[in-house]
Amino acid sequence: MLLGILSSSISLSIPLVLAALGGVFSVRGGIMALGLESMMLFGSFTAVLGSYLSGSAFIGVLSGILGGLIIGMLHGLFCIRYKMNQVISGIGLNLLATATTTLLMQIVWNNKGSSPSVSAVSIRLSFLKNVPVLGDIFSKQSILFVIALIVAIGGWFLLFKTHFGLCLRMVGENPKAASSVGIPVHKMKYIGVAICGCLAGLGGAYLSIDSLDMFVREMSAGRGYIAVAIAILSRYNPVHVLLFGLLFGFCEALQIYLQGYGVPSQLIQMIPYMVTLFVLMFGVQNIKPPAGVGKHEDD
Amino acid sequence: MNKSKANSALIPLVAFVLSVILSALIMLISGYNPITAFTVIMKGAFGSFTSFSNTLIQATPLIFTGLAYMIAKKTTMINLGVEGDFYIGALAGALVGMQDWGLPMVVHIFLVMVASIVAGGLAGLFIGWLKVRFGSNEVITTTMTNFILINFTSYLVNYPLKAEGSIAQTEKMVDSALLPKLFSKGQLTAAFFIAVVVAIFIYVLLEKTKTGFKIKAVGLNMKASETAGIRTGRIMLFAMFVSGAVAGLAGAVQVMSVNKRFVAGFSSGYGYSGIAVAALANDSAIGIIFSGIIFGALKNGANYLNMTSRIPTEFVSVIQALVVLLVSAPILIERIIGRKGKKKEAKKCC
Repeated sequence: MLLGILSSSISLSIPLVLAALGGVFSVRGGIMALGLESMMLFGSFTAVLGSYLSGSAFIGVLSGILGGLIIGMLHGLFCIRYKMNQVISGIGLNLLATATTTLLMQIVWNNKGSSPSVSAVSIRLSFLKNVPVLGDIFSKQSILFVIALIVAIGGWFLLFKTHFGLCLRMVGENPKAASSVGIPVHKMKYIGVAICGCLAGLGGAYLSIDSLDMFVREMSAGRGYIAVAIAILSRYNPVHVLLFGLLFGFCEALQIYLQGYGVPSQLIQMIPYMVTLFVLMFGVQNIKPPAGVGKHEDD
Repeated sequence: MNKSKANSALIPLVAFVLSVILSALIMLISGYNPITAFTVIMKGAFGSFTSFSNTLIQATPLIFTGLAYMIAKKTTMINLGVEGDFYIGALAGALVGMQDWGLPMVVHIFLVMVASIVAGGLAGLFIGWLKVRFGSNEVITTTMTNFILINFTSYLVNYPLKAEGSIAQTEKMVDSALLPKLFSKGQLTAAFFIAVVVAIFIYVLLEKTKTGFKIKAVGLNMKASETAGIRTGRIMLFAMFVSGAVAGLAGAVQVMSVNKRFVAGFSSGYGYSGIAVAALANDSAIGIIFSGIIFGALKNGANYLNMTSRIPTEFVSVIQALVVLLVSAPILIERIIGRKGKKKEAKKCC
């Protein structure tokens, strides 16, 4: 049973980890990531739409990434080119994604609540089935679990061990200084939000066509905001994201586990949000984002 | 000064028109005729006395939530908690309104309002405290408290407070706690006028009192206000209390005039619509009355449209979201309307 909870903790943490990794890249480049929710939600929707139109889950995942990317680039355009308040841009995009996905759902499927079932990602790590312990934990995980691991470790390498990562972090810390040594500040910021959009879109795709096989209205249910909290807690370090993502995945797993014991579902559904709230109260007091977040190179 | 004032009214207006055009394009692409649609919306919103009174009914919660969002924003706080405060205020109001104490109507309604103001105000204060004490990002904390409050109120009316029957709701409020209808036609109650009074109250608070001056000073420059001896933390807490209180009152007024009891999950995103209402009014208290009516008309008209055609009402939410985005991007708007925005001389400090 313990292994069962661990297994579902991991699978529930995958969308959070992917989105939070996106948030790390965005913030490291100096753009706040409060629009994560919209990128996830839109990614979930476009993933189902892609899978519905093509009949292929792979195309679905790709269109989920594309959907997240579109919103990410919009966020970038608003914040970088039009110098909008990054918080407002994030909130506005969240409102826009909620409204457009519901609208499009009615236009495409004539249904306000959920889409029809589409083909979903079915690749699981089933080759581990016969390995003791490991099999119990990992054999039901999706291939996206492996991708999330690779992205986290690769992301750490990219951010802290490469020239590109150094430039991105410098843009996030001090855009003016970065600009004066010839780093293309705008380009770097756009790359940051683009990576963010793609990863959040992938996380959204996991929600809709991996753990489920359909889009449900407002299915991201605040996970984008939880991902922001994970990114902060991890001190914007991709490897730490794995750890804190698992913590929040565990809260969600606990929620499902407790539902079998007759506790009213409304109370159980509060658990992840409560934990996030407590973490924000006591856990993140001394964590500062990069100094250049919200600044422009010509300020 | 004059120019900047003209500008401040122009940008929301252009943003609104652009949003309507964009949503018309979406309708066109999805195979609906936008001109017919907007004609039907106008008819549904203003066509008769009853439809106009329905517009005002729709506008009422929007004016409240717009005010609630705006007053917190004056101190730079982005209070998305308006939605949750709306719920908790409505529940508190409904609980007081359920009690048959044999009170005169004026007293009972007053008590309902006080209960909702306290409940919403405390919820707002809590968020403000998290921000001032721990520096927690209020956008995330309010999103979390919204989910918590919506689930918790839903739990209460599903279990301990549930009325007889299958629907998750409280008992009906007694007549002395309900706002009476004003006219024989339509359902308009005093609710709309309460909203207008609150708007005027907020206007006076912001423009004519010392506290209002401090609120605006904190929003314009926190460090300078601190240097000038303003206790910025306290001012933020006060603004958050007022914000939550207004949102809570909105909930109570809604149950006193429309629902007559608390129903689980009964807000159709009124709290989030408030962001758009405040944006369109450019954060002016009196302006919010009018932008509330505009969005109320759209919502009411869209409901009417939905009855006569298959066009989804959600495109109103699309318009709202676009307004929020476009109003906050003056550089974009200026570029679109082709005005060469005078570049402000870069102020060099130090």
